[in-house]
Amino acid sequence: MQWLDGLVQGVLLGGLYAQYALGMALMFGVMRVVNITHGDLMILLALVGISLASTFSLGPWSVLVVLVALGGIIGIILQRLILNRVVGADPLPSLIATFGLSIALQNAMLQVWSADTRSLPSDGLAQASFQLGPLFVGVLPVIVLITATVLTAALAATMQYTRFGRSLRAAAADVEAAAMTGIDPKAVYAGATALAVGILGFAAVFQSMRSTVSPADGAFQLIYAFEAVIIGGMGSIWGAFIGAMVLGISQSIGFRIDPGFGILAGHLVFLTILALRPQGILGKG
Amino acid sequence: MTAKTLLSTHDLKARYGDFQALYGVDLDIAEGEVVALIGANGAGKSTLLKSIMGLIRVGADMVRLDGRPVGGSKPHQMVADGVAIVPEGRRLFAGMSVLDNLRVAVDHAAPGRGDAWTIERIHALFPILKEKQAVPVQSLSGGQQQMVAIGRALLNQPRLLLCDEISLGLAPKVVKEIYQSIPSISANGTAIVLVEQDVGLAKSASDRLYCMLEGRMTLTGRSAELSREAIGEAYFGASHAVA
Ligand SMILES: Nc1ncnc2c1ncn2[C@@H]1O[C@H](COP(=O)(O)OP(=O)(O)OP(=O)(O)O)[C@@H](O)[C@H]1O
Ligand SMILES: [Mg+2]
Repeated sequence: MQWLDGLVQGVLLGGLYAQYALGMALMFGVMRVVNITHGDLMILLALVGISLASTFSLGPWSVLVVLVALGGIIGIILQRLILNRVVGADPLPSLIATFGLSIALQNAMLQVWSADTRSLPSDGLAQASFQLGPLFVGVLPVIVLITATVLTAALAATMQYTRFGRSLRAAAADVEAAAMTGIDPKAVYAGATALAVGILGFAAVFQSMRSTVSPADGAFQLIYAFEAVIIGGMGSIWGAFIGAMVLGISQSIGFRIDPGFGILAGHLVFLTILALRPQGILGKG
Repeated sequence: MTAKTLLSTHDLKARYGDFQALYGVDLDIAEGEVVALIGANGAGKSTLLKSIMGLIRVGADMVRLDGRPVGGSKPHQMVADGVAIVPEGRRLFAGMSVLDNLRVAVDHAAPGRGDAWTIERIHALFPILKEKQAVPVQSLSGGQQQMVAIGRALLNQPRLLLCDEISLGLAPKVVKEIYQSIPSISANGTAIVLVEQDVGLAKSASDRLYCMLEGRMTLTGRSAELSREAIGEAYFGASHAVA
């Protein structure tokens, strides 16, 4: 019973992690850009959302719309100002540039919002639950999981079947050849980063409704997102979703073995998969 | 030559960092014409095509399209203006299917050029590509990959097609098959620059021929009228021709 509950809660937690991981799957998995600010941007969006909600008494769904749009704009600015200068086969320049930016962002957020933990009022949604056979399941985590599944399906279909998706895959395969075939790589990359950070708008709302956020929390989202993408297999959108599930389930089961073991269990499963199947679950080769 | 000049280069100079690769190159090509460009390894043929395509920064007046200065335009702008390239080494999008490689070009075809080339027409030209359409492009043979590269460039609907050594590394039978597609491409009104190592092939497939040596044009003329000796001298340099 306890293990079944652990599994169900793990899948639900995986839904939240999938929302962290999808943007990373695009940027790291497909474009091979290492964006260390990934988690910080999610925290930034969450803090902006919490402030907006209290200042203009907005409900969580209005905040969601604003944050997704704001995330898209931040993504375009990030790509145009910083990442376009460091994009290339070597991920190291993007790592160094965004590492500096990550620290600057965390300090700026501390200045504006202080180190307090905050959360987004959920209109009682965070407390609502229903009974599923012998288990109690939260309504909000189920909404998070459904949203994550729909986002994953939409992003995977975008990559596979649209002009934008083909352009992005082509630019990631050979950026010069893509340009010679008529693609404007900078415009495509700006679109992809806008999409990646826009999706963090969803993660920001759900994270701050489910639990709390504070300016230094971004490192957790960053590492979970990296791990999910690598577990699932670089370049695979559904892989990132599966990787997020693996992490969520590992943490949740680990937590039931020993409350102090939860987070560590996730990292251990990540390391085990990295050792046994370095290309990831859905990775090729 | 009555046809209108489509593209021309004027005293084109290009460099890779400190290394100068082109020392003032002049080339012109008329609408619908087939021009061959030959020269030894390192002569600067690929550099010339890359400069035209916008992959190497050059002065605006060094490249003219319809008489308009276009030097230094971005590659995607050149494609939109009707110039497409089959690059050296093919440069296909690994990990993507044959069909998706072609679709990328359809997605970014030069506007206002109609759709003279369709995926169906590419399949008619190279039937094997229809059979292999769902296959990842990197699993094709070299010749088949070259066909994808040509098809991809044609689907950009070019007025000018630049081909960089499309016969390199291919079996003679495949080279023949690929060169047989050239007349049907120019029948469409598309002008073609053929960079080719095989001088005989270059001569027979083209209306005019240019020869480069160490970053300079050393010979130009009507392909049918150029003698072997003249080409040999331009290809290897005067000092080598006696040997
Ligand atoms: N990316 C580069 N960086 C520096 N030098 C280069 C680069 N590409 C080419 N070169 C140099 O520029 C000169 C011209 O090279 P280019 O590739 O244009 O010759 P090519 O005529 O196409 O030769 P090939 O028949 O071997 O393809 C050569 O000396 C070459 O070494
Ligand atoms: Mg070359």
